Amino acid sequence: MKSMMKILSRYVLSAAGVALTLLIINFALLATWTAQSGKTVQRNNNIAQIADSLVRAEDGSYLLSKDAGTSIEKNCQWAMLIDDGSGRVLWSLNLPSDVPESYTVSEVAGFTRWYLNGYPVTVWKHADGLFVLGGEKDSIWKYNITEPKAVMDNAGVWITVMLILNGLAAILLALLFGLRLFRSLRPLAKGIEGMAENEPVEFSTHGLLGELAAGINKTSEQLKRQGLALKKRDDARTTWIAGVSHDIRTPLSLVMGYASQLEDDPGLSQDKREQAGIIRRQSERIKTLVSDLNLASKLEYDMQPLRKTDVLPAALLRSIAADFYNGGLDERYSIDVTICGDAQNVAITGDEELLRRAVSNLITNSIRHNPNGCAIKITLEKRSGSCIVSVSDNGTGFPQNVLESLKSEADTAELQSHGLGLTIVRQIVKAHGGTTEFRNLPEGGCAALLCLPAVTADDN
Amino acid sequence: MTMNDIFDCKLLIVDDEPELIRMLDGILRREGYRRVLSAVDCQSARRTFAAEKPDGMILDVTLPDGDGFSLMREFREKSSVPILFLSARDEDENRLLGLGLGADDYITKPFLPRELTLRLKAVLSRAYFPVVRRREEKPAFCLGETEVDLNSGTVTAKAGRLTLTAKEYALLTKLYENRENIVTGDSLCRAAWGDDLYSYENTLMVHIRRLREKIEPEPSAPRYLLTVRGLGYKLTGVRGK
Repeated sequence: MKSMMKILSRYVLSAAGVALTLLIINFALLATWTAQSGKTVQRNNNIAQIADSLVRAEDGSYLLSKDAGTSIEKNCQWAMLIDDGSGRVLWSLNLPSDVPESYTVSEVAGFTRWYLNGYPVTVWKHADGLFVLGGEKDSIWKYNITEPKAVMDNAGVWITVMLILNGLAAILLALLFGLRLFRSLRPLAKGIEGMAENEPVEFSTHGLLGELAAGINKTSEQLKRQGLALKKRDDARTTWIAGVSHDIRTPLSLVMGYASQLEDDPGLSQDKREQAGIIRRQSERIKTLVSDLNLASKLEYDMQPLRKTDVLPAALLRSIAADFYNGGLDERYSIDVTICGDAQNVAITGDEELLRRAVSNLITNSIRHNPNGCAIKITLEKRSGSCIVSVSDNGTGFPQNVLESLKSEADTAELQSHGLGLTIVRQIVKAHGGTTEFRNLPEGGCAALLCLPAVTADDN
Repeated sequence: MTMNDIFDCKLLIVDDEPELIRMLDGILRREGYRRVLSAVDCQSARRTFAAEKPDGMILDVTLPDGDGFSLMREFREKSSVPILFLSARDEDENRLLGLGLGADDYITKPFLPRELTLRLKAVLSRAYFPVVRRREEKPAFCLGETEVDLNSGTVTAKAGRLTLTAKEYALLTKLYENRENIVTGDSLCRAAWGDDLYSYENTLMVHIRRLREKIEPEPSAPRYLLTVRGLGYKLTGVRGK
């Protein structure tokens, strides 16, 4: 919405700017044009020169200089000289027939201000009277301006005020139209924001922004289709993996079952029974791998339902460690659980079975990669808003390539078989809204930190 | 029904894989079950069920002409025969659905023969020999020279007979049920107080100390009720009476 406000203010300002610029340009053009046309009129009727060039000869007749004569002829003009006293025409040139030969004072006053029988005329004072220079009918438009002096004196102020008022009006109008546009754009903007959050949108395609709305509708539709196609593919993949893991179980039951029977068969030699034991143990490993693969693919595509309850990590960690001991942990391994003081009663919301799986995977990982034994340390710490489970050992540490693939938050869909157990750990923690960190310790061994959001259990 | 032990139970295995049926049949007969029947689909399972009235069933979830869950629902309308599910699906929903419908237990494939026979035995004993089991629930045992009888809740040592308090009894029962295994402080608290908050830790220690005073010849150097640092306790050296 912030960007919309920015667009609106930009729009209003630029509209006002355009209006103001146009106003100024028009003003300037008008002024130039007026001045220019005024000049043209003046150039054609340089009456002062013409009047001065009319001189009275010895015999009382009047002579016009040749230049002035040509100038009058060329511009299709006519001229006359009216006697000051009698009002009669003393001299004339090209005088039209409908122009009278004598004038009263009021007639003179009339044509100096307006027209003489429709002819535009200009006058000039001559030594013998009034020199009148006439033009063709309808060739000149005359207008007299009369303004109070105060107005003309304040013209500068008035023009400034007017410009400001114009600018304000332009801004107001732009704001009005801008708001209308803003109103019709707002749902679209909201819709696009929603689309980014994967919500489908459907706009009415009427009105000003109809085509834009239709385009957005189409995009949303497209996104939805793509999402569905992706989900379908993911579902297919998960279903496929579930199917394979299902199908492999029955044959594996037979392998495991018979191997186990052979292992316990007292009629067989020790060697054979040990070999049967290997088959049984490897079958159990395949079983784990298959269910790991199944779980990993479900977690990856959010198809593993989390059965969330309040879990006390401290109790869970103790129980996991006890289970490992009770399950016959080799004496070369030790699991030490340390609960930091205030973490004793911290609670988290989560799927206990999955969390158990995550921590067990880490312990199993340490055991499997350190066949000569190692000391495993589990600690639980409480930090602001979260609790951190750390599982570390003093063994060989993670191989560099495993560590790297665990560090990169890349697509876990590229599951690596040897890292499946750890990938599941990461997925489980992610499904609980937490983060994982794997690292090798400088003093040897490795550590996995699981950071899980805690529920404040102070009410207990 | 005349049944002297659980091996007299007539068992019906329903699974679509003949090889698996053969193996199960072998496992069960070796274990001692004398009457084992089988069926490969729902239809033949129904026929055998009607004709033979089995005492226990091992049922596969996925069958060629239906699923084990609805088959169980059908059978349960007619009898309360104990049913143990055997499934290739490890989804928990299925597990819950199976138990919610009244299945007695559930095993996912692949499984170890021992796991199957143990669970089957438990299911059958619960159904047909409950009295025997109840008596077993309150056993008597020895810790060195000391005799513990959970029926009367008493400890008999050289010094004389002592009675266990309710909490001590609950703790000792829990430890005995998991003898030779570590029992976390949390599960002991849950057993004694019905709560697994570790704030009971100190109280738990007090009760364990009193318990040791009753069952250990030398309470300060325990030999039978051991502390596992950071985790809980372990009852060891239990002998039958």
